[in-house]
Amino acid sequence: MDDRIPVIVFIGQPNSGKSTLFNAIAGFRAQTSNFPGTTVCHAHSEVVWKNRVYSIVDLPGTYSLTPQEPQEKVVLTHIFREKPDLIVNVVDASLLCRNLELTVELLELEYPMVVVLNMMDLAEKKGMTIDVEALEKKLGVPVIKTVATRGQGTRELMDRVEEVLARQTAPRHLQYAGEVESRIRKLTEMLPVDFPIIANLRFTAIRAIEAETLAVDRFFLENNPDFKRNLDRIRREISALREAPAYEVLSAERHHLALKIFEGCCRVRHARLSGLEKLDSFIMHPVLGLFLLLLIFAGMFYLIFRVGSPLETWLLKPWEALRLGIQERLGQNLPAQLLVGLVQGVGGGVAIVFPYFIPLLVLMGFLEDIGYLARAGFLMDAFMHRLGLHGKSVPLFILGFGCNVPAIVATRILESRRDRIITALLIPFIPCAARTTIILALVAFMLGPWWALGFYFLNLGVVAVLSSILTRLFKYSSPGLILEIPGLKWPSLKNILQKTYFNLREFVRFAWPILIAGSVVLSLLSFINFDRLVNSVLSPFVSGLLGLPDSLGVTLVFGFLRKELSLLMMFQALGVGYGQLLTVISRTQLLTFVTFVNFFIPCLSTLAIIWKELGRKIALVSVLLNLSVAVLISSLVRVAFSIF
Amino acid sequence: MFGHRRNKAELETIAGRVCSLLEIPQGHKFRIVDIKGGTGLHRRLLALGFHRGDLIALDGQAPLGGPVLVKNLNSDTRIALGRGIAGKILVEPADEDGR
Repeated sequence: MDDRIPVIVFIGQPNSGKSTLFNAIAGFRAQTSNFPGTTVCHAHSEVVWKNRVYSIVDLPGTYSLTPQEPQEKVVLTHIFREKPDLIVNVVDASLLCRNLELTVELLELEYPMVVVLNMMDLAEKKGMTIDVEALEKKLGVPVIKTVATRGQGTRELMDRVEEVLARQTAPRHLQYAGEVESRIRKLTEMLPVDFPIIANLRFTAIRAIEAETLAVDRFFLENNPDFKRNLDRIRREISALREAPAYEVLSAERHHLALKIFEGCCRVRHARLSGLEKLDSFIMHPVLGLFLLLLIFAGMFYLIFRVGSPLETWLLKPWEALRLGIQERLGQNLPAQLLVGLVQGVGGGVAIVFPYFIPLLVLMGFLEDIGYLARAGFLMDAFMHRLGLHGKSVPLFILGFGCNVPAIVATRILESRRDRIITALLIPFIPCAARTTIILALVAFMLGPWWALGFYFLNLGVVAVLSSILTRLFKYSSPGLILEIPGLKWPSLKNILQKTYFNLREFVRFAWPILIAGSVVLSLLSFINFDRLVNSVLSPFVSGLLGLPDSLGVTLVFGFLRKELSLLMMFQALGVGYGQLLTVISRTQLLTFVTFVNFFIPCLSTLAIIWKELGRKIALVSVLLNLSVAVLISSLVRVAFSIF
Repeated sequence: MFGHRRNKAELETIAGRVCSLLEIPQGHKFRIVDIKGGTGLHRRLLALGFHRGDLIALDGQAPLGGPVLVKNLNSDTRIALGRGIAGKILVEPADEDGR
């Protein structure tokens, strides 16, 4: 074999544990979850196994090779453009029958391949006994059992990968029924000489037949009308065989092959209803389930408040003491001011990350890992419909409570661009963990927990109202929900910690340095009195419209970096410690300010991701939308409180 | 377990006739006979492993006219379908032994 680094792609249906397996082999590189469509773009890693380097690519989960959803198109493009040296087909052993449909399709590529029966523990719990040798014989490729969450079977997998690559053995496709197979063969003979061949002639012919009603079909017509006529004739012939559209006939052939293989090598003892299944019928219950959903979110909120708030007070103490100590010893010169800024930046980060961010991320990770998010989508679909969206957006909004950025990236799972745009415009209004922290810290700490809860509901109300307005503006009937509900799983601590680490790393790497730098810069600016200039420029807006002290103007500049910075900078700008805030501004002012900052603009990273994902225009719309909502709601808060 | 189940009498009234997923009781075996609606929907369901001839059962129902939960008894998978889509999937009752 040559010295080129072999490319290995991981392909499997959503929720087959592909990313977990990838992580087990490649280290912490890919995010995992129990919600279809997590890997929207692919993760890539170089792995050394027995002194050889392999390039491993984790592709998004796909149900079939006929691309429909955006993340599935990624898979197809990747396979066709960068012909991989080997395919690792990751199969959820507990759903062997359906997963085999993709396996049958992948075999048709006739690339070297290894099949991984992942989640063997789950399959055994379901009472399934899988005869691996029989399966290997039927598929013609090596089959390996793994439990990726525990790292079982990964060594065998890499050994087999090495073996297959060394031998360069490619599998043969499985045979459809004779009369269908003969039609496919007929088409392969009709393929024009300049026709782009994907993998092999038969696979290309199958793709062409299945392209009926897809955009490619028009391309055929325009480029080669003769071929298109032949293609349509073959389609009609296949269609006549089973009285169904040709694409359905081919899909049904694979369905039946998969079913036959499954029946031939898997025995299922009739398993009792497991504890998880009983729990599931409770979670999905129309009344109890909805009640539980509310309870879970209320509980999350309460827990974070009960644990986070006291912890924050306790954590802030040494930093506050340090700040006072510096000011006492070094006085009011520049180094002292910069040092104070530094201490406040670091301390502010500590006060966000440990008490609130980590617990929230762990809880979200837990809900995602057991498979609750898809269930929340199911239960909330009716509500979402009333707001003009559907249940598929629910998990995205829930993700947004952790951090807006991954939620916006994940809007790729929505089929229609209209749904994507609306959801992406709404997500910045969802209070993310960092923002929740500030709301909790400031509002709950200063005004009491009920105020914080009220503020939270105000926020959700704004999202609901905006959604109904936006969906009316972009009129279009939202396609109905089709969402796989994966089995409820016992949580894997490793997955949850990995996910928490991922999100935390983003915050520590990106946001915390900005927070520290911002704090130092603000100290510097205030030392040279530059902040006065900013404040006086913003004064008509800040004090005129919102009725706030002029000195808060400069904090809004930092809000462009991250919204919560504005709030943290507030202490710095007003020149008071945590405890004395309400001596300088009134409750109304505090609420007005929190409201304004909460809505006023997507944070820099959110804006950047909207720009990248949906374009400059949508990013601009998002900024304007946020600004106008912020001005409107905060003025309303101001007026409401001056009346009562 | 917690689900609402319609009684046997109700099932008998629809025995032997084709109806949509919205009209069938929970927990009984049905066979998919046709999928109405556009090719996009049809292809999506095929990809998810829901084919004509498959045995399915209604497994749940979301509140307030929300989606229904459909279990494919052949492949042991479950999907949530909005009511608009569920109404386009036609089924007929299958015997308890799946004939």
